[in-house]
Amino acid sequence: MIRYDYAHPRTSLSITLSVWNALFLREAVTRLSTGRIAWLWLLAEPIIHLCIMLFMFIVIRMRVVGGISIEAWLIIGLVFYLMFKRTAGQVQHALTANRALFAYRQVKPIDTLLVRAALEGFITTLIAIIMGIGGIFFGVALVPDDPLTVLAVFFGLWLMGLGFGLVTSVVAALIPKIGIVLGVISTFLYLTSGVIVPISHIPKPYRDWLLINPLLHGIEAARLGISPYYHAIPGLDVGYLFKCAVFAIFFGLALHKHFETKLITL
Amino acid sequence: MIIVDNIHKRYKTNHGLGKWVLQGVSFTIPPKVSVGLIGRNGAGKSTLLRLIGGTDQPTKGHVERRCRVSWPMGFGGGLQGSLTGRQNAKFVCRIHGHEDDIEDRLAFIQDYAEIGAAFDEPIKTYSSGMKSRLQFGLSLAIDFDVYISDEVTASGDAAFKQKAATAFKNLVDHASLIMVSHGEGTLKKFCTSGIWLDNGKAHWFDDIDDALNAYKDSLPK
Repeated sequence: MIRYDYAHPRTSLSITLSVWNALFLREAVTRLSTGRIAWLWLLAEPIIHLCIMLFMFIVIRMRVVGGISIEAWLIIGLVFYLMFKRTAGQVQHALTANRALFAYRQVKPIDTLLVRAALEGFITTLIAIIMGIGGIFFGVALVPDDPLTVLAVFFGLWLMGLGFGLVTSVVAALIPKIGIVLGVISTFLYLTSGVIVPISHIPKPYRDWLLINPLLHGIEAARLGISPYYHAIPGLDVGYLFKCAVFAIFFGLALHKHFETKLITL
Repeated sequence: MIIVDNIHKRYKTNHGLGKWVLQGVSFTIPPKVSVGLIGRNGAGKSTLLRLIGGTDQPTKGHVERRCRVSWPMGFGGGLQGSLTGRQNAKFVCRIHGHEDDIEDRLAFIQDYAEIGAAFDEPIKTYSSGMKSRLQFGLSLAIDFDVYISDEVTASGDAAFKQKAATAFKNLVDHASLIMVSHGEGTLKKFCTSGIWLDNGKAHWFDDIDDALNAYKDSLPK
């Protein structure tokens, strides 16, 4: 049998890195290859979602929103929201899905969450590229006018998803049945983030209240970054999205630190 | 060397906090000493093993491992049903830092577990015997200074039991064991020292025979 060099124990960093590597490969296999066409569903789900929404807007004869075509408006909104939703959802359920792995003391709960966020960011980026190119192929104006802002916003929504997932994972693990409430919150965020409801059509003062939702800022900024002629919502502030994301991540990490033992022994 | 310092453990039940399973357990296991854990059912033997292995966390106190300690062998968790035996084995090798020689170790596990082509089938299709063979092979494929074993010799058919006993004998040459067993013969064969768990307290005996005697004396006549 192969012997190991006991004189040089692994450092904490090298253990963590090998755990991340192992988890990443494992998650990728589960995500892409369980079932015959698991990878196809990852792409098909947002496209079907898009088609249904597009059909509804065509039925109510809405062709243009805020100066850009409904197709561009919807694709940008859905793809950017997808980055948040997928990351947040995967991170939130990382603890329950990986409970068996805490049998190995090398694997900490936080590892599974961070790895899932990274993998989901990677997958969603690929989906976004495919949908963007597909849209351009069908003649939708999706070539970014300001690519840096678009990338920054995409990254910001990923951070927001990570932060949201970090917090909700702890909450869901510690409070039974809270999942229902979290589901309601997610739906509320979806409806008020301007993905399918044009927020600029909502009158004051209610519109200003909706500016509290950081996702709205991200999605409107993405549309403005792709098309400079888009009439974005007044009061748009990309910095607010990043501030909320960083706050959520720190709060989530603090929760994880504080409840670390509880999350394993649960 | 493993230092167990004033460990308390109780679990959460449906009716709030349960009673203390371990209450102020302290001992030091010197290097190269194999230890048998003895006690009645429910005395906290498995709990203590899980705490030493780091699978569970104590409510109070702490465990310090100054060597490479395995996870509890024969432990049911740690395998994901939807992944194949090989994928699970890869994961375990990777988290233990064996990325470079992973192929050798996978070959060893497949060979040792003797599950043949089932190694590339999802774990959920395995019988419980196949599962424990794989788990046993997994723990042997990774090098540890101390192996933790929870009645592992009891699982599997006669041929595999024989194989496991031989593996244990070979292990004792270069590593030590911490084991739970109700078989007096097994304990005497592999362990030099003993810990007797009683009423949430641990009593250390340098000689396993003394530990067994103390345990037997405590039983109702």
